[in-house]
Parts: sequence; structure tokens; C-alpha cells
Amino acid sequence: MDRIVSLVDVRATYEGERHATLAGVTLDVVPSEQLAITGPNGAGKTTILEVINGLLPVTSGTVQAFGEPVTAASHALRARIAYVPQNLFFPPDTPFLVRDVVLAARFAKVHRWKLLDASDRHQVDRALAEVGLSGLAGRPVGRLSGGQQRKVLLARSLAQEAELLLLDEPTANLDLEAKGEVAGLVSLVRRELGAAAVVVSHESGALLDASDRAVTVDTGRVVGESTPARIPSVTR
Amino acid sequence: MFGLPWHIILPTLLGSVLVGAMCSSIGTFVVRMKLSSLGFAMSHAAFAGAAFGLMISAADPIWTALLFAAGMAATLGPIADLSRLQTDTVVGATFPLTMALGLIFIHKTPSSGIGSGALSLLWGSVLGITMGQVYLLAGVLAGLLLVLVVFGKAFFALLLDRKLARASGLNTGRAFYVLLFLIAIVVAVSLRVTGGLLIYALMILPASAAFQWAYDIKKVFLIAPLLGILSALSGFLVSLAADLPIGAAIALCCAAVFFGSILLSPKRWRPRGS
Repeated sequence: MDRIVSLVDVRATYEGERHATLAGVTLDVVPSEQLAITGPNGAGKTTILEVINGLLPVTSGTVQAFGEPVTAASHALRARIAYVPQNLFFPPDTPFLVRDVVLAARFAKVHRWKLLDASDRHQVDRALAEVGLSGLAGRPVGRLSGGQQRKVLLARSLAQEAELLLLDEPTANLDLEAKGEVAGLVSLVRRELGAAAVVVSHESGALLDASDRAVTVDTGRVVGESTPARIPSVTR
Repeated sequence: MFGLPWHIILPTLLGSVLVGAMCSSIGTFVVRMKLSSLGFAMSHAAFAGAAFGLMISAADPIWTALLFAAGMAATLGPIADLSRLQTDTVVGATFPLTMALGLIFIHKTPSSGIGSGALSLLWGSVLGITMGQVYLLAGVLAGLLLVLVVFGKAFFALLLDRKLARASGLNTGRAFYVLLFLIAIVVAVSLRVTGGLLIYALMILPASAAFQWAYDIKKVFLIAPLLGILSALSGFLVSLAADLPIGAAIALCCAAVFFGSILLSPKRWRPRGS
């Protein structure tokens, strides 16, 4: 398998929308690479991530991940993909502990009739240690800062043992220090898992600089491809 | 107790405990997933179904209540999808429909069937249940616990975040529909104790109160049934002592537990970040 993800002439429209959000996107992701997707707001960057893991059905074209077609029912396939949605922040009264948020990422790995065992819990402890949150494992997740919550979501990717990371603006709304920490952790998680990553970002910085390749999206189409250093500043 | 023999009191006492535990457990999902209007729709559908059972002189109107509530669970999602409306809008449209149907069915019920039967569907009845129905409630509670274990992981992930759960490879659609049917079943079998109009209180208020006491969903799932049982039992006793409809008395006790929890909640007194 020379490509982890393959999109061919993909068109997709959100329910209730008249115009296609993706209007014929073709792109590939190869093993172990970090692909950055940049572009202005509303260009279709998030939509590309949603069609890759089947959260949004395509109206035409084909989407494959790990050599299999992706559909809304591709649950087993999705278990191999870690997704960090844009702007997912847990409000202060969220009734979940940090450890449980990470543990939930293991569920799809375990058969419905099986309970999680010591190895699952070990995996979670290890993931939390990797992202530096061991000391906060018993804290309510909603009481963590925005940067710490991003780290929790990255710890989920580790616990999930994902082969592909889909990261949607993982450093958005974070202060400069947290941005740097999260960008460093993305590299660490990728290295640990040997995973490929598709990172959506509309801002320059360490995360974009660490990418092997970048595509620029505008009005639902890929309009350019380059190394991150050569991305036109207007799209960054 | 209160001048009534134990063989009459015991079934309702046990029934109240079981209904309190069941409704507040399922209510934890309803509250956390913001499905309150859906729970409301189910209880109205169950009421209309039970009234239909009375009209056709069914042996036990609980079964027709179950049929209507399950029908509501099965059709709400597809109707919302087909009509491209928000589920809340569709749910809102069903309130007057099911309420109107319930009242029409009661109106059409032969006069011999009206009276305590119809009223108990509305308000609940202290003497409304038998030991046979207690066994049914116990069976449903056992079934509920079994389903919660089987679908535990999917439910847990759903409670955290639906999109995250789906993205991590769980079949959230199936788990969600199972949940809707569980709500329908719990509402229908609990109808006789609390009545169709007030079962909503037992489902929502103790569960909402439980969220005031814990940041850990596992603890919420322990506290909610305890508060549900407390509300149902105290409502039962108030009902006997003050000669009030049991559904209304339970609803009042649920409200007391809810507002008491809000006032005393450690979340109110704990500064953010601590």
C-alpha cells in the first residue's frame, strides 16, 4: 500500500446547503507523512477531514483509507484513525475525568462483550505520561486549560494506537506557549505511533513548519501544493 | 401504615423504588445528551397509548403505552431526517398530537373504563400496581442494566461527545436508537406509578440533581438512582400522608431534591481551577 489516504474528485455537500463544500478534491497521503491543509476560512479544510473518516458522506468521487473505501458505516476503519475536531473544548461542568476521556478512545479497539483490562489501562497511563498529564489524570477534564485539553485529545490518539491522525486546527485559540507545546506533542505522537497525519491549519507556526507537504484549498478545490516554507502568505 | 394493609402498600412501595431507580438512571442519559424534549415526547406518547388501551379495553394498557412510546422512538429520527427539520421541532409537533390523541381516547372510552383507570394514567396511583407489575418492573430494570453493560462503552463515549465517539469508530447511531427504545420502555412501564404527565419529573430532576454532586460520570450514575429512589419513596409517603395524587407528590419531591442539590452543590462553592 503506497497511499494511506486517497481522495479522487471528491464532492461533498452539507445537509441543507445548496452549494458543494468540496467541489472535486483529489489528494493523497502517503505513509508516515504529515500533510498540512491550509486555506482561508470556509475553504473546505475541515470538510476534507470529515470525508476522510466518513463523518460526512460524499456526493461523488471516491475516498479510500488504508486501501478500503470509506463510508458512514466504516466503524472498524475509523478505529484506526484519530480525529481531533476543531474547537472541541470541554466546558467546566463536563462530568468526565481526564483518565476516562482518554480511556474512551480504547473502546472501539475492544470487542463489545469484552471489558477493558489492565493492558488498556496501562496504555492510557502511558499516553497520559507521554503528554505530561499523569498528574492530572483524576481531574475533571473541563477544569483543564485549553492547551491541556488539546493534550488530552492527543493522548487519546496515543491510547487509540492510531495509524492516521486527523488534526483540525489543533493549536487554534491557544496562547503562544501552548501552541508550541501542542505542535511538539503532535510530532511526538506521530513518532511514537509511526503514524501519518493530516493537519488543518490556517496559521503559520511550528505545526505547519513540521509538515512534509502542504496543499492549499480554496472554494472546495485544491489550488496549490508546496513545501510548507513556500506556502503563499495570503493563505497562511 | 397510614391505615392501609401491607399487602396493598408493599407493591407500590417496591414499585416506587424500582421506578425511581429506572427513570433516574435513564434520565442521566436524557439530561447529559440534552434529550429532555425527547423524554417529554415519549411520556406523552406513552400516555396516549395507555389511553388507547383503556379505550379498547386492553387487558393491560401498559402494553399499548409501550407500543406508542416505542413507535415514537422508532419514528422521530426518520421523520426529522426526511423532513430535514431539527429533532426538537419534530418533537415539539408531537406534544399536541399525542396529548390530543390521549384525550380523545379517554373521551371515547366506555364510561365503565373511565374513572380510576384513566386518572391513574394521568396522575399515577398509590394503589395502581400489583405484585405482578412489580415483577415486570424488576425484570425491566434487570434488562436495562444488562443493556447498559452490553452497550456500556458506546454509551459512555456518547455521553462524553457524540462526534468524538463516532470518529473513534463506535457505532453511535445504533447505540442512540437502543437508548431511545430504552427510554420508551422505561417510560411505558413506569406510567402506572407516576402517571403520564409527571413521569418526566422523575426522569429529569433526580438526574439533573446528581450532576450537581459529581464531576465523574460513574459517580453520577450511582447518585442519580439513589436520588430517584429517595424522590419516589418520599413522594409515595407524602402521597399517603396528605392524600395527594402519587405522581404529583413524587414530582414535588423530585423538585425539592433538584433545588436542594443546586443550593448545596459543591460545584457552587468551589472556585474554578481548584
